[in-house]
Amino acid sequence: MNVDIQSLGTFNQLAHEGAEQATASMSQMTGIDADVDVTQITLMDRGDVGEALDEQAFVGVEFDFAGELSGQTALVLDEACSETLTNALLPGDAGGEMAKSGVEEIGNIMMSGFIDGWADYLETTIEHSPPTYVEGIGKEILPTAGDTMADDQVFVFKSEIEWVDASVDFYIYMLPDQDSLTELMADHADAESDAIPVDKLHVFNRMTQQGTRQAAENVSMMTGIDVEAEVSQINFARIEDVPKQVGTGRYVGTAVEFTGLPSGFLLVLFDETSAKNAAEALMPTGVEGEELTDQHTAAIEELGNIMTSGFVDGWANVLQTSIDHTPPRLVHDMGRAIIDPLAAQVGQHQDHAFVIDSRMRTDDVEFESEIYALPNDEELREALEELAVERAEETDADPEELFQ
Amino acid sequence: MPEVLIADDSEFMRNLLREILEEDHQIVGEVENGVEAVEAYKDKEPDLVMMDIVMPIRDGIEATDEIKTESPDANVIMCTSVGQEEKMKEAVKAGADGYITKPFQKPSVMEAIEDVVPS
Repeated sequence: MNVDIQSLGTFNQLAHEGAEQATASMSQMTGIDADVDVTQITLMDRGDVGEALDEQAFVGVEFDFAGELSGQTALVLDEACSETLTNALLPGDAGGEMAKSGVEEIGNIMMSGFIDGWADYLETTIEHSPPTYVEGIGKEILPTAGDTMADDQVFVFKSEIEWVDASVDFYIYMLPDQDSLTELMADHADAESDAIPVDKLHVFNRMTQQGTRQAAENVSMMTGIDVEAEVSQINFARIEDVPKQVGTGRYVGTAVEFTGLPSGFLLVLFDETSAKNAAEALMPTGVEGEELTDQHTAAIEELGNIMTSGFVDGWANVLQTSIDHTPPRLVHDMGRAIIDPLAAQVGQHQDHAFVIDSRMRTDDVEFESEIYALPNDEELREALEELAVERAEETDADPEELFQ
Repeated sequence: MPEVLIADDSEFMRNLLREILEEDHQIVGEVENGVEAVEAYKDKEPDLVMMDIVMPIRDGIEATDEIKTESPDANVIMCTSVGQEEKMKEAVKAGADGYITKPFQKPSVMEAIEDVVPS
């Protein structure tokens, strides 16, 4: 079963326009000024879906939908956001069952708008169930996985809705039945030349997960901090949405350009506290003060270099090629400001981009790190075409075999 | 004591290698790129070069190739974060005598050196 990059782009656009329609409906009902911040398709383990929701309390509305495309959707919003919505709908009477009913109705109208665009594009009808009001902590708010195993890879659509003048957590998730989605993608793959076999995309995702584990092991070995790979996923988003994948806080890290098949850019980022903790774990002697010094940044530069190699070496070994990268360039800025110029360079040749997004963390000290890879999508497709699925586990190379 | 030249663009890594090696080796130079590595080798003729691969201006494989072409008896250990099989083959072709991947600890560095320059 193949998917083509053009279809992924079309489906991403459909989801984005659906989310815009849903958001416009909400604004019309409540008077709240809102817009869709970002929409992306993600290939990830089912067990990791909703991981980004952390441990926050959410309310939401769920639907099943069926037809040429089937699955589940969920409107997910934080409690403050829900309260504001119901107050706007039912001023002075926003408590209890009435509030739930209000959220349900907003969800019903929004999600109808979201689904209708898909039905129109597919020139068919998509039926959806009545809305179900749900409450939950973190990813518990999302529909259950049913028969899908935690390590099964799934495509998930997610749109983030932002309000003007307010910071809210407000999302639309669509979790299509995978058979239904891949059949649809195959049917709409109108350019066989840029098609990617879904099983190879799955293998590539596993390779990036292994790369993340290797990078985490390298950090542990260098710093003594017991770091674990947490989430690794492949996002597909419009170029203008790529910078929004990275947080708005300040980050320290390294950027490299890699060449080979595929070429692209790779970022290793740490928030400032994590950077300081990791750097000090590398240094033989302590450093006074709270500021990042030249010693910290030199250590981060080398850590980023080694993590970069740990991440891409597995790709090169499985693909039986070499991937070169430039010496690491230190970056220290707002997250989006760091990735923006790289996205712009990739965007000279493509409208959408795959963003490989991996995270690692530890509970021992405050430490989190994120790796973002931005490959050229045409070259990634070519690389996957060359990929021998049976070599998927061959990520490590042993120098002793060659230097005897 | 064996004389060692360290070629790595990372000051942090040069410091780390120096700390590991200086007890049993004489560090005769530290350079930041492949061009400087070739020049320093010609100048110092050390017993061993610890050579990074990814360096600006000229990478470590090209530098190794030039050193080994001009001085076939030179001893060069690639000391790199790159763990790609194809890159290791390139290093073999360039004449490298050993290969250790970062992150490393003192025992693996000493073992690699012992293999190439037995004490």
